[in-house]
This record gives sequence, structure tokens and C-alpha cells, in this order.
Amino acid sequence: MTIEIRNISKSYGGERILRDIDLKINSGELVALLGPSGSGKTTLLRVIAGIEQADEGSGPVLFDDVDVSNVDLGKRRIGFVFQHYALFKHMNVFENIAFGLRAKPRRERPSEAQIREKTQSLLDLIQLGNLSQRYPSQLSGGQRQRVALARALAVEPRVLLLDEPFGALDATVRRELRRWLRRLHDTIHVTTIFVTHDQEEALEVSDRVAVMNAGRIEQYAPPQEVYEKPASPFVFKFLGNYNLFHGRTRGDEPGEALVRPHDIAIARDPNAAGASARPGVVTHIGFGGAVVKIELETEDKTHVDVEVSAPTFRDLNLKRGDKVWFALRNAQEYVPDFVI
Amino acid sequence: MAGAPLASTSATLNRRAANGNPRVRALLIALTIGFLSIFILAPLVNVFAQAFAKGLDGYLAVFWPPSPPEGATLGVIQQRKLAEAAVQSERTWSAIRLTLAVAAVVVPLNIVFGLAAAWATTKFRFRGRALLVSLIDLPFSVSPVVAGLVFVLLLGRNGVFGDWATHLSWPDPFSLRWVGFDAGFPLDFERDFTGVIFTPLAIVMASIFVTFPFVARSLTPLMESQGTDEELAALSLGASGWRTFWKITAPNVKWALLYGVILCTARAFGEFGAVSVVSGHIDVNDTMPLRIEKLWNEYNNQAAFTVASVLTLLAVFTLVAKTAIEWKTARDHATAEGKQ
Repeated sequence: MTIEIRNISKSYGGERILRDIDLKINSGELVALLGPSGSGKTTLLRVIAGIEQADEGSGPVLFDDVDVSNVDLGKRRIGFVFQHYALFKHMNVFENIAFGLRAKPRRERPSEAQIREKTQSLLDLIQLGNLSQRYPSQLSGGQRQRVALARALAVEPRVLLLDEPFGALDATVRRELRRWLRRLHDTIHVTTIFVTHDQEEALEVSDRVAVMNAGRIEQYAPPQEVYEKPASPFVFKFLGNYNLFHGRTRGDEPGEALVRPHDIAIARDPNAAGASARPGVVTHIGFGGAVVKIELETEDKTHVDVEVSAPTFRDLNLKRGDKVWFALRNAQEYVPDFVI
Repeated sequence: MAGAPLASTSATLNRRAANGNPRVRALLIALTIGFLSIFILAPLVNVFAQAFAKGLDGYLAVFWPPSPPEGATLGVIQQRKLAEAAVQSERTWSAIRLTLAVAAVVVPLNIVFGLAAAWATTKFRFRGRALLVSLIDLPFSVSPVVAGLVFVLLLGRNGVFGDWATHLSWPDPFSLRWVGFDAGFPLDFERDFTGVIFTPLAIVMASIFVTFPFVARSLTPLMESQGTDEELAALSLGASGWRTFWKITAPNVKWALLYGVILCTARAFGEFGAVSVVSGHIDVNDTMPLRIEKLWNEYNNQAAFTVASVLTLLAVFTLVAKTAIEWKTARDHATAEGKQ
């Protein structure tokens, strides 16, 4: 199912959380809403779900080109997964998943046998078939998240909305579960939107990323494009570590250049580093396994972070206090934007 | 896992601190026991000692006065004594009936009010919410006598809104009788009350006023901490509002609700001040606490304490039930925490 929202705004007590948002999601796509806390990403998800109402004067929320702005949460046929799972504490895993099927109006409700069959197949899908009688309090965080997903999928939603689905889990489980989510999405192909503040998660899992900042979408593009061609300094800064250089652009305006630490070449010989190489002194070396982080200090006392691969570092054989030459390989130049 | 050794360390520290000075410990325990004995235990024992001052027969005679032996000729004084005892016991029974009837009306109404108030103040955000929360607590801070007087001023002959309330006619529910099909509907009330103040209706209203916060207050913290995610999850799965309430909200709050109901019932049974003002000191308007006062004022100490002992037993029962619920909730909480 396609989702399209036009010109959506939302305020709470005078504070504007969403500012004229437009977004179009193709059928079967997996889209990440990425942004820092307070950027409005969760609010946007809740407006799409129908939990929150957009402000008066906002445009429509279209599901398959049908306006659902005035359709109740329960009638939109969405599957919503909450950040803290919101599993029904007093029901076991089986009853949690079966809840949506049992809640259907009598005429549409499947028979008890069908409910059992469907619930069992979902339990198998999330690989928790043997824990169907457990209560939520007896499950690990990752297991709870999978139950919440299965519960949402039970009613065969037209769209799956996930609010920080892995936010409350530890790093290992997170990585495992997001790969699982990607595989699951490739199997069932339901249009999915998920909210996250974790760049790595958004870039790894999604088909397209909408980077949000202060109630606006700064960029909406596939992960590679977002990373390699950030549309704004905000996107560049939010997606990873960076060095900031002040200077003048080719048009001789004051501007700034942003460079990723791994996009800086480093060499002992000025000619090997590149044409516009500048000198610096190594002030710190941080070993990080596959990547080694090197801190340089330039002549004008600015710090530059450089990341090199472990083999390159071995070849360079650097020590603290060594003099080196560095050159920017891939700098993004921006003219500072004073208009808000 | 990481928390376990830490927790046990702090427990050991606490124990050591508590056991630090045996003299202080002994003093504090002695002080507490002494205080409890003088102000709680001694009066409690006294209630029963006085109630049984004339033995078990005397105790039971308050409720079931002795009838004269068959065929015995009694002196005038003895006859008057027996007649007086019969009148007194009938008044006691009337007080017990009225107390139970008032509670039977007040408690269900408070369950509805309390749920509505707790729901409104915890699950919605609106202007004036904080004011509403403090208003719910108002009966705790207002002297019950003042509460009673407020009703007299509102609904009495010189009421703020005139004396309309004194002409109000309403049927006595206890006078409902079977009148046959001659008059059409087979049930009819034999008696009507006129006015509100100095009738059982005023007693019900005053009791509602003083007991209102109990249910709301016992639900609010729990509902606040549970938030709305579970309800929203149920709604998003297509459940109706009604089903969501009965299947999700009600099971989550049932113990807190029962706790509130017990406190509310105890207060409804035991309320004196507010009820005393609006009862007009008319015998038929006596509840158990008012009846106790009248017996005491008539120098009928033993009967006063006998009725008091019934209220005391109720208080003890309330305490046991309250402790049981607290213990159960704490245990449920501990299991839920322990397994997370």
C-alpha cells in the first residue's frame, strides 16, 4: 500500500513539532524516519497511525490515495509497534498475538481453530513457538519485541509502523533483530515505516531514509545517497563523525567544509598526500580494531580527526609527535544558512 | 545480573546500619510499641471489654432484646423496660440498615466517578488538569463538618438557590411493595420523602463528598505509570473502546480499584461529621456512628460499645483485606521485576 502525506503540521501548546511535512512512501517500501530526539519523527509516525491528529489546516493522510485523516486508529488497518512493546501484561504470548483476531466484530471473526492456526504460524515466524504460554514479564527484551511484531501482524495490517523498535535493547540483540526485521520485510513485503535515532540502523535496514530535524524532513533518499550526498550540513553532521573547516568558497564567500575522518588522506611525504596537502603533528592515536583514530594538530592549532584502516596505519608506522601531511579527499562545502 | 550483588551489598549495609546501635534500636521499638499500645491497642481492647460488660447475653440483647417469658405477669416498670429495649434495638437495626444502604449506593457511584476521574486526569492532557487533580483531593483537606454544612446551605430552607430542594419529593426505596396488577405496574413505593436535607438522600450526598477521593486516588498513580500504550495497542488492533476497557484497562487496575473500594467502604461506614450535620439528629436518619453517639449520650454505654464493636470488626476486616492486597501487589511487582 502506498502512503502519502501532504502538508502536515502539528503543534503542542504553541510549540510546532511538525512543520508542513510532505512524504510519499511506495508500496512495499521500508522507510526509516531518522532524527535526533525532538525532531518530530515519533509524532509524524503517530499522525500516520491515527494516534495523533494533525493540526487544523493540514493536508490529508492518504493510504492508497484514499484520505484516512478522519478514520479512527482501529479502522486504518495499521500495525503499530510501541517503543516499550506495550504487550498486555496479564495475557500470555499466545493470547497477546491472538488479541486482534478475537477483537474482530463477530461477522469477521475467524473460528477458534483458525485463530489457533494463525497464531501458531505467527509464533513460528518469530521463532517463539515453544514460549506461547509465557507471560511478557518472563521474556527477554528481544523476545518481547518479536511478540509485539507478531501481534501487530496478526490482523494483516496494510502498513507496519514501528516506533524506535530496537531502542530499548542492547547492542548485540539490536543488530540481530534489525537484520531479522529486514529479512521479515523481504518475506512479507508489507509497507513499513520505522522511527530511529540510530544512523547505522536506518542506513543498514531501510530502502529510503527520511532525515528529520526540528519538525522538517531535511532529506529523503536511499541510504547511500543520504550518506554520500547529504543535502544539508545537518544531515552530514548527524550521519557520522566529521571535521569542520572554515574558509572561503570558490565564489569567495565565507563558507564551511565538512569532511568525514576517513575521507582525509595522510602521509609522511608531502607529495604522496596530494596536491593541497597541509602539515600537521600527531597528538593522539586511538586503536579501535579495524579502524585507527588519529588526532592531528595543524599549524594554526586546529584539531583534525583522521581515521585510517589498520593496514594503512601499520604501513605509516606513526607515533605521537610525528609530523605528517594530510589532504581532504571528499569535502562537502556549504554556505552557512542564516535563514531559518 | 549486574544489579544483584549491588542490591545484596546495600541490603547488608542497611542491616548493619539498622543493627548499628542495639540501644537505639531497642528504644525505638519500645517507643513504637508503647505508643501503639496506649493509643491503638488499649482503646481497641476497651471497646470489646465494654461491649461484653454484661456478658454475651448482654451483647446480643442490644440486637435481639429478651422477650418476656410466656404467661409471666410483669410489673409496670419491667414492661416499660422491655418495651424500651425493643424500641432501642429497632433503632440500632435501622441504623445498620441505613449504613449498609448508604454504602451500597455510595461505593458503586464512587467506582464510576473514581474511574472516570482517574482516567480523565491520567490518560488525557488538557488545560486545567492540575486544578482538577487538586479538586479531587479537596475532601481530604476539608473538615467533614464543613462539608455537611455546605450541603445544608445549598439545599436547606435558606439555601443559596432558594428553598426548591425542600419541596423535592422522592420515593423511599425501602418502601417498595408489591401492589398487584390492579394499578397497572405491580410495584409501588408506599412512602415518599420530602426535601433533601435531613433525609437519607443528604446522608448519601455527604458520604459521596467525603469518600470521593479514595477510588480516584488509589487508581491515579497506577494509571499514570501505565500510560496509554496498552490501550492504544488494543485500539490499533481494532478492539472497540468497550472491549479495550474490559480486556486491558480493567485487569490492569483491578487490585488498585479493590484497594480504593475497601478504603471507600470503610469511610462510608464510619463517617460521622458530615453525616451528623445533614441528618438533623432525627432517629430514622441515624447511621451506625450516629447511633453510637446517641446511645452514649443516653448513658447506655454497653449498647454504645456493642455497636462500636461491630464497626471495629469492620475496620479490622478492612485492615486485613488492605494488607493482603498490598502484599499481593508487592509480590506481583517483585516477580515482574525479577523476571525482566
